[in-house]
Amino acid sequence: MNGWTGKILKVDLTSGRAWREDIPTELLHAYLGGRGLGVRLLRDHYRLDPFDPAMPLVFAVGPLCGTTAPTAARLTVVSRSPLTSTIYDCSAGGRFAWRLKGAGVDALHVSGESPRPVVLVVNGESAELIPADSLWGKTIHETVAALAGKGSVAAIGPAGENGVLFANIMMGEGNSVGRGGLGAVMGKKRLKAVVVEGERPVEIADRQRFDHARQDVMRLFRASPVIFGELGIAEYGTPALVDLMRQRRMAPTENFRKTVFADSGNYAGPALRRDFQARKDGCYGCPIQCKKSTPQGEHLPEYETVSHFGALNGISSLSAIVRANTLCNELGLDTISAAATISAWGEARGRFPDAAEVATLLTDIAWRRGDGLLLSLGSRRAAAELGRPELSMSVKALELPAYDPRGAYGMALAYCTSNRGGCHLRAYPISHEILRKPVPTDRFSFSGKARIIKIAEDSNAAVDSLVACKFSFFGATLEEYAELLSATTRVEYTPQTLKEIGERICLTERFYNCGNGFTAAEDRLPERFHAEPGSSGEGIDIPPIDRARFNEELAKYYRIRGLTPEGTFADADFLEKQP
Amino acid sequence: MHDQLAKYAARLIADRAARPDGIAFAAQDDLLITEGNPELARLAGDTLSCLSALSLVAARPSLPFADFLVQRAETGESCIVPRDTETRTFLHDIPFLRRDEPGMDTGGRIARHLGNRKGVVVEGVGIVASGSVTVEQAYINYSSVFHATFVKYLEVLLREGFRLPGEREAFAAFRRDWLRPLTAEGLVFRQGALSEPGEILAEMEAVGRYTVERGLVDSFFGNISCRSGEVIYISQTAASLNELAGCIDPVPTDNSNTCGITASSELLAHRRIYEASGARVILHGHPKFSVVMSMLCAEANCPVSDCWRECPKVRFLGDTPVVAGEIGAGGLAKRVPPVIAGPGRAVVYGHGVFTIGADFGEAFRAMVEVENWCRAEYFRRLDDGPGLAAKVVTEIRRAPAD
Ligand code: SF4
Repeated sequence: MNGWTGKILKVDLTSGRAWREDIPTELLHAYLGGRGLGVRLLRDHYRLDPFDPAMPLVFAVGPLCGTTAPTAARLTVVSRSPLTSTIYDCSAGGRFAWRLKGAGVDALHVSGESPRPVVLVVNGESAELIPADSLWGKTIHETVAALAGKGSVAAIGPAGENGVLFANIMMGEGNSVGRGGLGAVMGKKRLKAVVVEGERPVEIADRQRFDHARQDVMRLFRASPVIFGELGIAEYGTPALVDLMRQRRMAPTENFRKTVFADSGNYAGPALRRDFQARKDGCYGCPIQCKKSTPQGEHLPEYETVSHFGALNGISSLSAIVRANTLCNELGLDTISAAATISAWGEARGRFPDAAEVATLLTDIAWRRGDGLLLSLGSRRAAAELGRPELSMSVKALELPAYDPRGAYGMALAYCTSNRGGCHLRAYPISHEILRKPVPTDRFSFSGKARIIKIAEDSNAAVDSLVACKFSFFGATLEEYAELLSATTRVEYTPQTLKEIGERICLTERFYNCGNGFTAAEDRLPERFHAEPGSSGEGIDIPPIDRARFNEELAKYYRIRGLTPEGTFADADFLEKQP
Repeated sequence: MHDQLAKYAARLIADRAARPDGIAFAAQDDLLITEGNPELARLAGDTLSCLSALSLVAARPSLPFADFLVQRAETGESCIVPRDTETRTFLHDIPFLRRDEPGMDTGGRIARHLGNRKGVVVEGVGIVASGSVTVEQAYINYSSVFHATFVKYLEVLLREGFRLPGEREAFAAFRRDWLRPLTAEGLVFRQGALSEPGEILAEMEAVGRYTVERGLVDSFFGNISCRSGEVIYISQTAASLNELAGCIDPVPTDNSNTCGITASSELLAHRRIYEASGARVILHGHPKFSVVMSMLCAEANCPVSDCWRECPKVRFLGDTPVVAGEIGAGGLAKRVPPVIAGPGRAVVYGHGVFTIGADFGEAFRAMVEVENWCRAEYFRRLDDGPGLAAKVVTEIRRAPAD
């Protein structure tokens, strides 16, 4: 077999046992790897509570991992989210994925609950659990330093240990498995870290075809202004979007009460470059290198982070934002949910926090003390406890990122149809509504958006299963990645077959969610977006979103997906019919 | 959606890329709709219903070049491999279906190819292209296939001469009826430096329209900019040259903000050209004869295999320098600026033409001249016969640039 190893490493933390099993080839062909494989592996467990010891935490890589396919050295972690209660996956860069594949497995399946803190050490064929009592309570940096020399690290910080519902799993190089609180799932299992070492190479079935496809991808990257343009993400990182979102008047400000923040230039891409001497950094093996860090190696924040610690909380100090970002990385907190939860709390109490207070709050959230105890539950639960549920700017309890849905209607719809809650990356309509890729669409129109969102969700599910980075697709398309995949595996794939695989994955996720009680009632935006306008001006009107038109498009989405008007499945045997 | 279908059917007619009675579109939201020529509409609908895409166009091209390429293809070949940069980058290759290929229903066969590529040539039927996001995207993909097959056929013809029954006559009709004289005459340009933003935007919109209306370029193949003080006004990426209203980014030359992330992929080239030349405006397009002629090269035993990117020479088409360089960060921004200042024009291998000027009138006329020269030269060589075309190609005047 080329591309895949065909093996899974299973670890039961309760018994301390580790063993390898074969993965049926037809499952690999039908789900690829990463998100798809992880989702499939949860079929017998999706109804379990996220903190149930039997709930698996799956680390899966894709068939392109271990090759030089651009941006494909990525890992996906899949489980059920304690924040959203949905099925949950998130991908991250770093050497970990490459090493895991090098250890001879496509996936690591961790279940059970260790009686004491442990680190799982995988080295080639061997896997062992070592005590980690001395690491419990340590920051990510301290943990990674303590494990130096053993391999690539995925670890949790105090936030994951203490069960913060938006705790991340952090990769040793600083990448995060973010948003849905899978760090808390890992913490509940008392698994402080996984360390992997492996060197086994991946054999490419057709080297010439692979190289040709790789050249095609690189040519498209070079032709993409968003990727390698002089104002693109390779130069300025994702904070290149700050100025654009300000210009489009869709930068969420003060808990989404406004959509323009006057001081956003303070933390835009050029400011990061000027004030922090931002240099190129990024995921292992990625030619784009969209991440930025200081000359001392401190990771600088992404667009979502600068905007949410900035505009959303009314903070204009870039150094305070960088400090908040570093704190989150050290404590193992998701920056979007942390900033958005603090913002909702700020609105509820009538005052957004200042820069100094943010740092204290983040630490208190990670240690679940003081105000941090309430905030550690995320904005949905915190706002409900404060008697102001309407102030949680979330969908399915996942805090919305820094694209105001009143400024991009496809984004509004996609927040709601996303199987993991209010996430911008499932369908990523910002790509066409704002960045004009592959072609521009009218951001203030719902016309055609249901179909566009459906196709994009399917495509991105395939991308997440390869596992490649979404940013590649500001230039490349599934055409070139299907070629890379076919050349690697000698199994013929096309963009169409990849989209069909993506559709299977999306529907499976939705079926799991429906099995856990989700219906159309959860596919809703916070009321604010239908009732209050954004900040109109400079010739751009940002009205509230027309509810009837939104509902009409959502109903279309259900029809296109073959769902009932309630967004559920007419066929109770759907899962049994899938491979 | 219906308005979109009508809009892009009209565009295909205005572009003279498809026969007015031979156009059909299909689009699907929650329902599948089709419009246009009934036979093609049925085919479009059948095909789109097998695909995860939003739109599809099936149309009979106004020229038979795509069919000629299929008929010239060897047995066993299944796709046309374009050599122009644009299609090479974005389409890779164009599959074709022969008229007599047995197998499943035509819609299913086309869908199988469109499951892998953006457009397909169906011999005897036309060009079928899909769009996953918008109706416009299907139109763009159709236009790309039309452009690619046009350029490729002209190249092949120059090399091989007429071979197929009826080919000579069809080509004569193309020269006589389809081609129109290219001229800037009758167009009104603002003269001299433009400084008012409103004035700049209005002029750019007008000139963008002129380039398409005069048949100089197809609407999606080009970009345009104007420098005023410390700001470059440039058309956005994926903007249609004849619809530039709202699609022009003002980009500060010191990169003090990044709103221009949506600007044309050639922003860097424009910036470097301004720095090197002192020009006030730049026009860039892919006029077809210039693209064809730029790829003729007499160099014997050249060690370079990737001419698009790596040719180190400056060749000439008349007085116009020709250099290599791919789109965006692919090298064009390095090679064009050093050669464009003097002649005010430059051609990029397999790609298109850049012209500059103190105002758009000057840049526009320069582009017309380049394309007219290339057109005349192409026909001169064709009329001299394929043997000569192979021997007497673009003159090489300089040693490797570096
Ligand atoms: S583009 Fe950025 S996020 Fe994506 S793989 Fe590369 S460095 Fe990582």
